[in-house]
Amino acid sequence: MKFLNSLQTAINGLKANKTRSALTMLGIIIGIASVIIMMSLGQGAQNLIIGQIISTGSNTIFIEPGSLDKTKSRGMMDMMEKFEIQTLKIKDAEAIQKDPNVEIAAPLTFGVSRVVYQSIDKRITYMGVTPNALEINNTYSVSGRLLTDTDVKITARVAVLGHKVKQDLFGDEDPLGKTIRIKKINFKIIGVAQEQGTQMFQNLDENIYIPITTAQKLLLGISHVRWITAKAINEEKVDEAVEGIRLILRETHNIYNPEGNLGKDDFKVMSQKETAEMLTIITNVLTIFLSSVAAIALLVGGIGIMNIMLVSVTERTREIGLRKAVGARKKDILEQFLIEAVILTVMGGLIGTIVGIIGSYLGCLIIKSVGIDWVFFISLPSIALAFGVAAITGLIFGIVPARKAANLSPIEALRYE
Amino acid sequence: MIEAHNLKKEYKMDGVKTIALNRVSFGIKEGEFVTIMGPSGSGKSTLMHIMGFLDRPSSGTYKFRDKNMSDLSNDELARLRNKKMGFVFQTFNLLARTTVLENVKLPLIYSGISMQKEKEMALKALESVGLSHRLEHLPNQLSGGEQQRVAIARAIVNHPSIIFADEPTGNLDSKSGQQIMGVLQNLNDQGHTIILVTHEKYTSEMAKRIIYLQDGKITSDEKVAHRRFATDGFTK
Repeated sequence: MKFLNSLQTAINGLKANKTRSALTMLGIIIGIASVIIMMSLGQGAQNLIIGQIISTGSNTIFIEPGSLDKTKSRGMMDMMEKFEIQTLKIKDAEAIQKDPNVEIAAPLTFGVSRVVYQSIDKRITYMGVTPNALEINNTYSVSGRLLTDTDVKITARVAVLGHKVKQDLFGDEDPLGKTIRIKKINFKIIGVAQEQGTQMFQNLDENIYIPITTAQKLLLGISHVRWITAKAINEEKVDEAVEGIRLILRETHNIYNPEGNLGKDDFKVMSQKETAEMLTIITNVLTIFLSSVAAIALLVGGIGIMNIMLVSVTERTREIGLRKAVGARKKDILEQFLIEAVILTVMGGLIGTIVGIIGSYLGCLIIKSVGIDWVFFISLPSIALAFGVAAITGLIFGIVPARKAANLSPIEALRYE
Repeated sequence: MIEAHNLKKEYKMDGVKTIALNRVSFGIKEGEFVTIMGPSGSGKSTLMHIMGFLDRPSSGTYKFRDKNMSDLSNDELARLRNKKMGFVFQTFNLLARTTVLENVKLPLIYSGISMQKEKEMALKALESVGLSHRLEHLPNQLSGGEQQRVAIARAIVNHPSIIFADEPTGNLDSKSGQQIMGVLQNLNDQGHTIILVTHEKYTSEMAKRIIYLQDGKITSDEKVAHRRFATDGFTK
């Protein structure tokens, strides 16, 4: 039997039962669409996370207070404690900067407070920084000037506004020289930063920058810093810089730790590379998990096909008998029913792919609408995979009914009532 | 053309052995028109199925054109059914929701004939049963007699040398039945060998030879003394 004939026969068979064919396809459509949506969302999440981390620069190193000793970890308690550890100081950052592999180091602290300008009253995050921190972020001023070392030294009450803060408080008004009140203390606006977007899940445009010393003494009443951001001189030197920073901090913190046991330290040093790798693993696991759930939907769809094809074979027993009587060989009947199953899955796969792409796009719109900087992403391999799985599902779940049909004896089949 | 020697067919139904054919031997020559008659359960359908390569005997030898059935694989049997044999059934067995033309083409799609030739042959077969004006109709739009004529067109489309007709008039009114028998007699005149299974005495006498079966055995095998012709008109 020629292939074209087989195809025609199979299509006629499916056309004869349009509703049933459509319902059978629905299982595959849902399965394929969910696989594509899950893979798209997983990939999108990964791109988002990696993008956020990469945005800080691949040679960035983070230093936080707290220990890496997992045996001491107490979950939330540990998180709370981290902010109470007061060991990290501005002078640590100065010491770190002396390491030959470190290009720049910047201590940071922050707080959230009411910020008042005339009748406008908002809760805004203020970052206590040094000029170094702004340099690491490539911040520049679109009007006025940035913070200087002198500002930090003299605990100046000056502020640089993030792009969005300026819009919120001043609108089109020129803020330079105006006074705002942060936690009831007057600050003079000396500059406005350029639009920077989000970095490490934080919208930099929503921050106010003030000298770190001013933040510590006047707003927070502390003498330590929340973390230190450092930059290695280049990407290759990141690991050496991390090691160098550890040695320096052990010395300044008087920690005797010649064997380099990280559990003994009262600080954590983590390169951006490590953070990215860790988060990649997490999102990969998540994608695989979600895709597996979707794959189960596909499996159920496949079983649906087998079920319907079995019913179809039983219903068409006489037809099969007749075809055999007029000369169809076993192979011809097998081919006919396999092609039917594969057409169902491939068409289901095609529609499922379209539904999946539309679904992923809608998901992307929903995520964007809550303000996350999400990029719509569909990978060709995920479509190829979904399609391959659909075709294989059709073949595998088509084989049982097709074999049943092909093995019918012509005379039994013709007699079937 | 056909040589049957000691054909035996046994069934096991619910553990009980039933003998459908018991050591049946006979021969049929090219161009014959043979009726197989007998009461129901006499084994006439079983015999026809074996003769038409649809079923295998339990023992004995069956030769069709010097080919021994036991030497042939199922696929080879399918090929011979396709090229050399035509079947007409009591219940027509046309594919529903499939046009008359496509139904007639059915054997051709399994014989590797070009699509162009397929249509040519199908049209010719339909013309010879007088249904050229019904090509695009569906079976359920036709009368019983017309449906059976479509089935005959399907049986002869591949120019078989032998046609098996299993109670072809059983589901038809007598006028349509008469027409069908006329078509079969015509085909026989053109040189086709025809094997007819029936239990109607009147219909059986349109053949040239009648084999009687009872309890799986041939009880008589003789020429029809006064052959009836469908063209003579209906007299029962």
